[in-house]
Amino acid sequence: MKRKELYWALLVFLAPAVLALVVMRILPAAQALIESLFKTNVFSGEKTFVGVDNYVSLFENPDFQNTIAVTILFAFLVNPIQVFSALLLALLFVRAFPFSRLLRSLIIFPIAVPPAVAAVMWSAVYRPDGLANGILKSLGLSTQGFILDEEQALMAIIVMLSWIGVGYWMLFLIAGLNDIPDEIYEAARIDGAGYIRQTVSVTMPLLGRPLSFVLVATTISNFLVFAPVLILTRGGPVGSTSLLMYDIFLRAYSFGDIGRANAGVFILILLMVTAVSLQFFLLRKGNQQ
Amino acid sequence: MKKLLKAPLQLAGLGLASALVLTGCAASTTAPSQSAEPSASEDITSQPIELAFMGPETPETFEPVIAGFTELYPNITINYEQIPFDQLATTIEQRIGSGDSAIDIYTVDQPWLAQYAAKGYLEDISYLAAEASSAMPSAMYDVNFYDEKMWALSVWNSTQMMFYNKDMLDAAGVQYPSSSPDARWTWEEIDAASKIIVDSGSAQYGYLLEQVVNYYQFQAIAESAGGGSGITGSDMLSLDLTNAGWTKALEWYQDSFANGLQPTGVGGFDTGPMFSDKKLAFFIGGPWDIGIFGGNDVNWGVAPHPYFEGGEVATPTGSWSWGLNPASKNKTAAAEFLKYATINPVGNLKTTEALTVIPANEEAAGKYLPGLESDPRSAGVSDIMLYEIQNTARTRPTTVGYVQFDSLLSVALEDIRNGAEITSRIDVLTAAIDDAWELFR
Repeated sequence: MKRKELYWALLVFLAPAVLALVVMRILPAAQALIESLFKTNVFSGEKTFVGVDNYVSLFENPDFQNTIAVTILFAFLVNPIQVFSALLLALLFVRAFPFSRLLRSLIIFPIAVPPAVAAVMWSAVYRPDGLANGILKSLGLSTQGFILDEEQALMAIIVMLSWIGVGYWMLFLIAGLNDIPDEIYEAARIDGAGYIRQTVSVTMPLLGRPLSFVLVATTISNFLVFAPVLILTRGGPVGSTSLLMYDIFLRAYSFGDIGRANAGVFILILLMVTAVSLQFFLLRKGNQQ
Repeated sequence: MKKLLKAPLQLAGLGLASALVLTGCAASTTAPSQSAEPSASEDITSQPIELAFMGPETPETFEPVIAGFTELYPNITINYEQIPFDQLATTIEQRIGSGDSAIDIYTVDQPWLAQYAAKGYLEDISYLAAEASSAMPSAMYDVNFYDEKMWALSVWNSTQMMFYNKDMLDAAGVQYPSSSPDARWTWEEIDAASKIIVDSGSAQYGYLLEQVVNYYQFQAIAESAGGGSGITGSDMLSLDLTNAGWTKALEWYQDSFANGLQPTGVGGFDTGPMFSDKKLAFFIGGPWDIGIFGGNDVNWGVAPHPYFEGGEVATPTGSWSWGLNPASKNKTAAAEFLKYATINPVGNLKTTEALTVIPANEEAAGKYLPGLESDPRSAGVSDIMLYEIQNTARTRPTTVGYVQFDSLLSVALEDIRNGAEITSRIDVLTAAIDDAWELFR
């Protein structure tokens, strides 16, 4: 095949993916950036160019400052918790033991529950007279506020999201674990390596790719968390669960403040790109070592 | 059961405004500037027409009125689309805002009307004003005006009253509250009675406001404490939430939860079932609850909405109007359906067949209210409702900034209910609303 023909073939095969990427990702992002530089009159729909005013007014707003802080704290908590739990579960469920298939199915099951439905279910768990406090009481422990308590609400949402997500991420890691050839473990065993040594020196390095994928994918999906906040806490108590995605929704669809909502979208994109670049950088550094 | 509960609550949330509006705005009855009536030559009786209608109620709610209308116009089909209440505002923003012509007629929560009208989400129907004014009480008529034009027609009206569990009061030796508006209980009396009932162990909690964190219900409390509606100014874009009245109302509200008289953590559709499950001695709810509680085995009675001792009597009001989408391609037929459901007493009455709610049409209300007492437990309710609608109803303020105010206030009320420090929380709220209102300045 001539070089020119090869290029044509490449173009044809890549076109659908590239087109989808441009239409569904790049154009909306560009549109958000452009719209974020305008202020739209609510009544006439007339747009005025205001430069970076929308960004300045957002960053000067104490509520928005809180939203950014909460979003970053949330990302630092939820992603390691989910990846680590998924990894532990994958290591457990890749081995066969009595009822392992049943238990594995039970852990995967919440994937089928849409986040909004899960939030409604969990609101019954977290109610003051709900399931969680019922269990605490029966164990003789003191009841908790959960989503009504400023200090527990974010963690309560993280627990709920992990209930939905961990089983899903576990699947990728189990697939990765199954891809590791048995001979390598066999060789390690002959060399006298125990389970822990095998996990650290064989499993972890060879699980690098699926693990990086899971880390990046959880990070992105967790930046986009929205329905549970809307249904369970509406950003409260006292702003403690005010995630950026919810703030954007509120500004765009409840308040009709399109300019600042789009500024929020662009800030969210920047946050995600920064977080993911940082992860790639650290993973690459780790691999080189 | 859930479905049943959902509709009235949605109603409650969105719709209550219309009744109060009646008394609140009676003085300002507006003569509209004439708007263009759709061309009379347009034929809506022969060719097939499909109308799309969108609202938060269950489809069963509107089956009777749709059936009544299509009997008159067999060539017209009406497709009703239910959008859950929580998503309705967003859906209107997205679909009507983007000029979607696939909706012809939709439900409008009355306090949101000003903003929708200002944004061009509603068709000017001032040409129907003369007919509407003779069919409805003035508050139900006035509530649909913004900028001297009429944008929608009221379908329902609302008020709130106090349900009480007779067995619980008997067990604790507490006298029943009077059903006479002149002898209505104060919040102080309810607190005292609730304490006795809870202490005696005959109820887990004293009372609960149905829409516990909603301005619809809290406004009457703030107004009774002398705090006003909370919104002032010639442009109705100034906040007044730190006056003595609001502070008193908020402190009372917070204390009622802190003292265990009202339960925390329960909201939305879960409040009414607390009364049916016999966990509450008193429940402040709406006319729709008469229908809902009709199915429970609680030995209940009804008394007028409470007020603060020494304060004014104020009660919630308002409900749903329906308006036309300016992008609709079937405006004449849609307007005909709208007229049937509101101005025509027969049609308006049909909107209340599947739901316990007060019809906005005067003639329809006259026929409807006495029927509410078919359950002996609701004795006296017709007189209470009539009295409140005419005398004590406080309309929610007409402001383009209502959406922002309502949604941010309800988050703050939830925080205050759970113990947030009132002064600082209200400061944060004021800053947040002012920031959101930047849009209008």
